[in-house]
Amino acid sequence: MNKRLIVKSILWAFASVGLVVAWARFSMGLGATTALTDDTPWGLWIAFDVMGGVALAAGGFVIAAAVYIFHLEKYSPILRPAVLTAFLGYTAVVIGLLFDLGLPWRIWHATIFWQHHSVLFEVAWCVMLYLTVLALEFAPVALEHPYLQWPILQRIHKLLKWLTVPLVITGIMLSTLHQSSLGSLFLIMPYRLHALWYTPIIPALFFVSAVGLGLMMVTLEAFASSWLFHHKIKTDLLAGLAKAASIVLYIYLAIRFVDLAVHSKLGYLFEGSWQSALFLFEISISALIPAVLLSFSKIRHRLDALFACSLMVVFGMVLNRLNVGIIAIEKSPGNVYFPTWMEISISLAIVSGAALVYIFCAENFRLFTDEKEEKKSIEKRQFEQPVFDAPSKVWLGDSLVQNISVFSIIVVSVISITAAMLPSKAISGYERDPVPVRKAVGWETIKIDGNRTGEFVLFNHKEHEQRLEKIHGEREGCLACHHASIPQDGPTGCYECHSDMHLSSNIFDHEFHQKALQGNQSCTQCHAEGQSKSRESSIACTECHQSMFQKIDTGKADYYIARSYMNAMHDLCIPCHQEQSQILGDENIPKCAFCHVHPPQTNEDRMQKKNVDAFPFSIQNGEN
Amino acid sequence: MKGILTDITKCVGCGKCVDGCTAANDLPPGSVKQYQTRDGLSGERFTSVLHVDKNGQNRFVRKQCRHCLEPACASACIVGALHTTETGAVVYEEGKCIGCRYCMMACPFGIPRYEWAEAIPYVRKCSLCYERIKQGGAPACVEACPEKATIFGERDELLAIAKDRIDKHPDQYIGKVFGEKEIGGTSVMYISDIPLDFLAWKPDLGDNPLPQYTWAALNKVPGVALGMAAAMTGIYWIIERRMKLQEEQEESNA
Repeated sequence: MNKRLIVKSILWAFASVGLVVAWARFSMGLGATTALTDDTPWGLWIAFDVMGGVALAAGGFVIAAAVYIFHLEKYSPILRPAVLTAFLGYTAVVIGLLFDLGLPWRIWHATIFWQHHSVLFEVAWCVMLYLTVLALEFAPVALEHPYLQWPILQRIHKLLKWLTVPLVITGIMLSTLHQSSLGSLFLIMPYRLHALWYTPIIPALFFVSAVGLGLMMVTLEAFASSWLFHHKIKTDLLAGLAKAASIVLYIYLAIRFVDLAVHSKLGYLFEGSWQSALFLFEISISALIPAVLLSFSKIRHRLDALFACSLMVVFGMVLNRLNVGIIAIEKSPGNVYFPTWMEISISLAIVSGAALVYIFCAENFRLFTDEKEEKKSIEKRQFEQPVFDAPSKVWLGDSLVQNISVFSIIVVSVISITAAMLPSKAISGYERDPVPVRKAVGWETIKIDGNRTGEFVLFNHKEHEQRLEKIHGEREGCLACHHASIPQDGPTGCYECHSDMHLSSNIFDHEFHQKALQGNQSCTQCHAEGQSKSRESSIACTECHQSMFQKIDTGKADYYIARSYMNAMHDLCIPCHQEQSQILGDENIPKCAFCHVHPPQTNEDRMQKKNVDAFPFSIQNGEN
Repeated sequence: MKGILTDITKCVGCGKCVDGCTAANDLPPGSVKQYQTRDGLSGERFTSVLHVDKNGQNRFVRKQCRHCLEPACASACIVGALHTTETGAVVYEEGKCIGCRYCMMACPFGIPRYEWAEAIPYVRKCSLCYERIKQGGAPACVEACPEKATIFGERDELLAIAKDRIDKHPDQYIGKVFGEKEIGGTSVMYISDIPLDFLAWKPDLGDNPLPQYTWAALNKVPGVALGMAAAMTGIYWIIERRMKLQEEQEESNA
């Protein structure tokens, strides 16, 4: 097996995990699959997939600017991969957004409901337009493919080539706008974003860092594709990118520290809090160390150093987006956001999908426009073995996806494993917290959580039983509270019958009491004289209403759910049957068929108690 | 402009406002604990009563949407689903919302809540009972208050009442109407004998309306766009021309 096949297999596996989680996310909602709460409404999908994704795709416009605007032809070999990465990156951003939006099918709403005071509105438009520009920029590469040589397509091809420079300029403009505006999103929350990251010039920081990150991402990509496709790395070209990146990172550092100094926030750096440590770590690996290292020509021309630096910048800048989007955001005390494995798997799946499409394009289009390399690959392709169908000896042609059987096995097995791993809430949706069920007690006054507030009320079971039996009949009376046919039934709240008990009952109606006690003359009946009339200065309810309070141990109710009809009835019958079985020495007495018609013919039979009317024996009391 | 004034010194913490709100908005009874932050608000509760300890004495502070005069949530909303109305109420249009939850990030008081448990979720928050006040009624919470601790009326009149109470009993109140000026003023205001900093993410919000912070950057967008496009076209043209001249020179030299 070659390494490309292994890499592709791993990517297919990640993508398949995402497929299963995607099903759970869209059928059961955000609460069932993510760790998002009202406290942290934005999580990994915004901070990594959207903010990180857009920044990582910045290489597209940076390299396009270098080649077409600044005429630096030296960088043209990496232009096509950079544009493709940008296109796939932005597609990934949009897909990530579809997962994160609560109502993803309304993603187009921004095109008709205009709200130009919203930063997000601007970002949405820029991303939409830029994605179109990227598609048009990449289209000529696709249209070179021998399968796509139709006249109409070729006319479009010519038109697009003619439009290249205007498209590139539009792309640069749109990128400048939305790269910076992703930072502007946080301008409105000076009270939530930590002071080390919040600044009025955060849009400028986002733009400059995106340029630096874009350059280093292109470098990292060159390493990856040389490893996958056996290209020779052009050290000279990468060193040029690294030099530019170093300058950009220095500018970034300067803006950041001058900004901190101007807003007299440098003190935060040495606060000793986890935020200051995080900030120092982030700034060191995202900019400081790589900028310094890459400013030396010797280091720039060493591949291992280049690789390490680009990795540092990519990791550090993504960390920066995570910090701004999640980590440095104020949360209420004790609340921590950590993404669920399902959130992480969706992010991984989207990245893997993009990588698979990239590899597909690299295998099928002229992505690397180096003539020498191309000759080599053509030579190589000439000696590749054609594939024949074994029995018929028919040439199968080039398959669109090679090794399709390997990938199918991976996809199917990973899907089934993931489906088995899904937590129950991701399969059946939101569930109430499981609460212990107390055994039914058919005669006494019990404590139930009738209003579902976690506080109990006294409930006279016998009284309810008798009253309901009179109204509804024997069986239906029980069924009013103990449901027979609703599995996993929710609690039967008191208010479902007593509409006046809808609300919690510890309300003191001041007006009512005032009226009942003849108005303002009666204040001192409850409130102590001469003190301000507050809750503290008044007497307790029990001093007038003794009967309202029974002497019982106070405490929280420990169960919510009325037992099901079946369990409630079984609890009444079975203990006695077991007792009688021992006394009479008949092991059949506690068995199901002793009471129930067997086999049941109709649903009515299921409940029929066949022996009730003709007890064949007299009940014997164990104690006598 | 309508508003609500809540007097913390009068509130006895009965919670009737919460019940009134629950009934008026047709919210499920009882409490749903999952996804609920500790202030008691959730997708199913638009107001809550917070218990605050003041030197051993209880104080009760009702939390609800402040209905800012220049709301951050409305300025953040990508489609204008959240917007102010002629009554001062900040309301939410379900039909427009795309579920980006930027409003929840933007609100300095952390008011908007999300229906996390639903597969088709919406943002939920107090609407100042917009439908009721439009027909001349009062919000359900105000109607339910037995102590007249929370009152409804024109914002200016409420401000006058608040200042009057503070002037008459300067020893009983902190000399400030909470919500008069912060972040450009809010329609739901408080007077209190305890500081109410905990209602927002950070104490001392300042008097600048939050949308100004965004607008400072957003109004530069057309300039930046045109400037960038012009700069790129210019650079392209100059370098292109230089290269042509160079080529011509080389040709003539040859």
